[in-house]
Amino acid sequence: MAIVANENTRVVILGGQAAVNAARRMGEFCHLCRLPFYVEAFVYPPDAGKTYDIPVGSQIVAVPIYGTLSEATAAHGSINTALVYIGPARAAAAAMEAMDNPNIKSISMITEGVPEKDAKLMIKKAKKTGKLLNGPSAIGIMSAGKARLGVVGGEYNNLILSKLYRQGSFGVITKSGGLSNEIMWIISQFADGITTAIGIGGDAYPVTDFVDYLELFEKDPDTKAVVIVGEMGGNLEEGAAAWYAAKPRRIKLIGVVGGFCQEKLPKGMKFGHAGAKEGAHGEGSARSKANALLKAGAIVPETFGALGPAIKKVYDDLKAVGQTTKAEDLAPSELPQLPRKVEEGLKSGMIAVEPLFKNTITDDRGEEPLYCGYAASELINEGYDIPHVVGLLWNKKLPTPLEAELIKRIIILSADHGPAVSGAFGTILAACAGIGLPQSVAAGMIMIGPRFGGAVTDAAVYMDYGLRNYPNDVPGFLAYMKKEVGPVPGIGHRVKSLKNPDKRVEEIIRFVRENNITSPRLDYALKVQAITTTKKDNLILNVDGTMGCVLLDMGYPVESLNGFFMLARTIGMIGHWIDQKRNQGRLIRMYNYLINWAVTPRRPVPKLPKK
Amino acid sequence: MGLFQKWGINVPHHVVISDPGQLDTLAAANPWMKNAKMVAKAHEALGGRFKLGLVKMNLDLAGVKAAAKEILSREVDGMKITQVIVAEMVEHTEEYYLCVKSTREGAEILMAKFGGIEVESNWDKVQRNFVEVGEKSAPGQCTELAKRCGFTGDLAQKMAACAHSLFDMFDNEDGQYIEINPAVVDKKTGNVVALDAVTMLDGDARFRHKDWNFNWAAEFGRAYTEAEKEIMEIDSKVKGSVKLIEIPGGEVALLPAGGGASVFYSDAVVNLGGTIANYSEYSGDPPGWAVQALTERVAALPGIKHIIVGGAIANFTDVKVTFQGIIAGFRHARDKGLLKGVKIWVRRGGPNEAIGLAAMRELKSEGFNIEVFDRYTPLTDIVDMALGKKKV
Repeated sequence: MAIVANENTRVVILGGQAAVNAARRMGEFCHLCRLPFYVEAFVYPPDAGKTYDIPVGSQIVAVPIYGTLSEATAAHGSINTALVYIGPARAAAAAMEAMDNPNIKSISMITEGVPEKDAKLMIKKAKKTGKLLNGPSAIGIMSAGKARLGVVGGEYNNLILSKLYRQGSFGVITKSGGLSNEIMWIISQFADGITTAIGIGGDAYPVTDFVDYLELFEKDPDTKAVVIVGEMGGNLEEGAAAWYAAKPRRIKLIGVVGGFCQEKLPKGMKFGHAGAKEGAHGEGSARSKANALLKAGAIVPETFGALGPAIKKVYDDLKAVGQTTKAEDLAPSELPQLPRKVEEGLKSGMIAVEPLFKNTITDDRGEEPLYCGYAASELINEGYDIPHVVGLLWNKKLPTPLEAELIKRIIILSADHGPAVSGAFGTILAACAGIGLPQSVAAGMIMIGPRFGGAVTDAAVYMDYGLRNYPNDVPGFLAYMKKEVGPVPGIGHRVKSLKNPDKRVEEIIRFVRENNITSPRLDYALKVQAITTTKKDNLILNVDGTMGCVLLDMGYPVESLNGFFMLARTIGMIGHWIDQKRNQGRLIRMYNYLINWAVTPRRPVPKLPKK
Repeated sequence: MGLFQKWGINVPHHVVISDPGQLDTLAAANPWMKNAKMVAKAHEALGGRFKLGLVKMNLDLAGVKAAAKEILSREVDGMKITQVIVAEMVEHTEEYYLCVKSTREGAEILMAKFGGIEVESNWDKVQRNFVEVGEKSAPGQCTELAKRCGFTGDLAQKMAACAHSLFDMFDNEDGQYIEINPAVVDKKTGNVVALDAVTMLDGDARFRHKDWNFNWAAEFGRAYTEAEKEIMEIDSKVKGSVKLIEIPGGEVALLPAGGGASVFYSDAVVNLGGTIANYSEYSGDPPGWAVQALTERVAALPGIKHIIVGGAIANFTDVKVTFQGIIAGFRHARDKGLLKGVKIWVRRGGPNEAIGLAAMRELKSEGFNIEVFDRYTPLTDIVDMALGKKKV
């Protein structure tokens, strides 16, 4: 057995992020104890209708979120416990609502900073409704091996070390949430562990206090002894002493009293929690508490350090009369481990994975990206430029100075070609429709293909094919192309011609010649042009073809070649988008007179045949 | 005083000044100041003002000026007096007692037909009425209480009305303890007037009292130090809490985690005859920088020989993050020339305890005089070791 929280506990948590964190800890506990996950619902109006996804072992449980508590309990009839994880201004109202809900039997409230008046009103309500409310400022309730309400118990490894996966013989009631873990740990070392541990919260008016839980522990046959830990001030220990002395009690009581130092401290000094105030003498002083407990027959260790041995003595005495249940300890290896993150598993060599893909260019796992092994910052400081980064990331080596210069020139020459071409016009059309920058540039990018800017790769591939298979037979190559492929990529321009040459092409060729760069594919392409222009004046070698041949001859992989045009033209497309934004360009609609309306005239719609 | 007036409880005429030069203008605007006998008091959160000579009585306007000038030149425990309250002396013959205090079930209204220092010696004659939380004080209840105290006739009605108002103030202003001592009958007006009062309100209820504009006083009769104010300022801003109260003369500085453990660390020091240099704690998973600020203030406490970085096994406070703050604080303190001859003692458990404790152990290689223990060393054993009762 256990008190308050047990295997029948089904929970709704009122709150948002803090509630999720608590649910995760409860999920860990369920995983450790091999229990079904008992958090059935959340109440958090801003997220109503969604789910919070809570990991339980390697599973993810989607827990529904409701707008009100009554909706949650109507949908989940087995819910009997509510946890309050909302701010102090609304926590009391939420707790009141929970006490009015017929399904809710117990409530634990972690909210700190709840006004005292609100706490007192909750005390009154709890009395009237017969509900158990733990808190405010309560860390939660831990019933070893059965249920955990809230984050009490801390992280997974502590649950194992403190043997919270199985029941022992000791109950625990503490005001301080931080000390509850410590006491459970001490009991696991000096005795056989806990039945239930309860943090009642450090406020001046905890709604339920030592006596409420002592009554419950007294009725729980598995609990043989109870450790209570109070704080400075208040008179809860005196209350516990009076309860213990009132009649013979089955359970042993161990009381840890703090605050003896107060006799030596400035009067009225506030310690830790709101409940920790009151005078240095008379009721509420450490001495008065210790005396009351001792007089009632409780065990009171002289210092905190003496608690462990005191617990051991009680345990040994219980064992001697056969009072303790034999609690089986499990080695950590016999317990479920928290599923490891893949990264951890890889690091420890426990698992191997088949990678999704291979990456050979950039490594950003360190403090800055490495481009083919070179740190970006060092490249900058050494004076390298954008063409070098292009060389590294596209061709995996640093270009020579001449190559870098040519790449720079290609980018400058191809950066833009006015607003009327397909790419820029696509971008402008999108910009004027109010579309954002990335999408508008993408609209322009979509245009890059066989007829616009996207023939760089194909031109290089086919000129290369011609050079290898028809080195001295350009007409043969052209015949092959006409039969197998169609128009020769890289040849032809919409407006440029022999009489109106493309200045960009001339510049690239001049640079290649002046610097004695050998480019057999360019030479071959010019031979092709010599023949095609005899057929039609505008079948000239265009900028795609020129770039493709030169870059392929420089050793750039064919896959990269269209990239040079895309890289360059991105600059122009971004420019056009900015330009339209600044111009506040209006929505563009095609003029009817620019469309050839080759349509069918209006006619009657035939009746839809009945099935 | 503003709150008393808000709830219809008479208080003496009064003004608050920070410069004696303001008195002439105030006297022109407040006719009562021309003829009344007045009292001038230091308007600071200080106990024992009378003994410190910070209360001057039976003054006329010229006397008030001289008294205010003198009080404003004073300094107590390093704190400059910056404000003086000047109040009318209310002529009266008898003194009475009124109080409303919180109990677990509601509130008690306390009343007595004697006041001032007489109350303490006649505590058993003070009469009480209980009002359940959520209820109002019933109309005849306070009259019955006044009669039980021995008040009669008109005075009984007036005291009952005052008690009723005091309860309303307590109930509506989230009172914890409000005491009027003494309450007197003003000979000139016949009204019941609160001559002096102690008002303790619930700071946690601040969110529903937008008109609360007063400064909160330290609860132990002295003003906050600069370091304490700095930490309070941080505490009000962050998730979780960081706290510091300085105790001059102590040799063992405390930097424990959690309001509960902090008490037992203090007890452990005092129990072995040690002296503590401060009360501190951090809890509720505060950010590292807040813990760092606290650490630097604790490391700067004068004359300390040990720093106890103690803590139980945390539920959700991240040991790694908070220890990173403490480590940064120690490094910064040492760079400023602090921590000479100071030994640091660490014991902790909780989320990320292994990483946090390992980082703390690293400080040893940086030359810090530090001993680090994990959960297997009992909570307060580091105090025993620091004070030489147990071997390391």
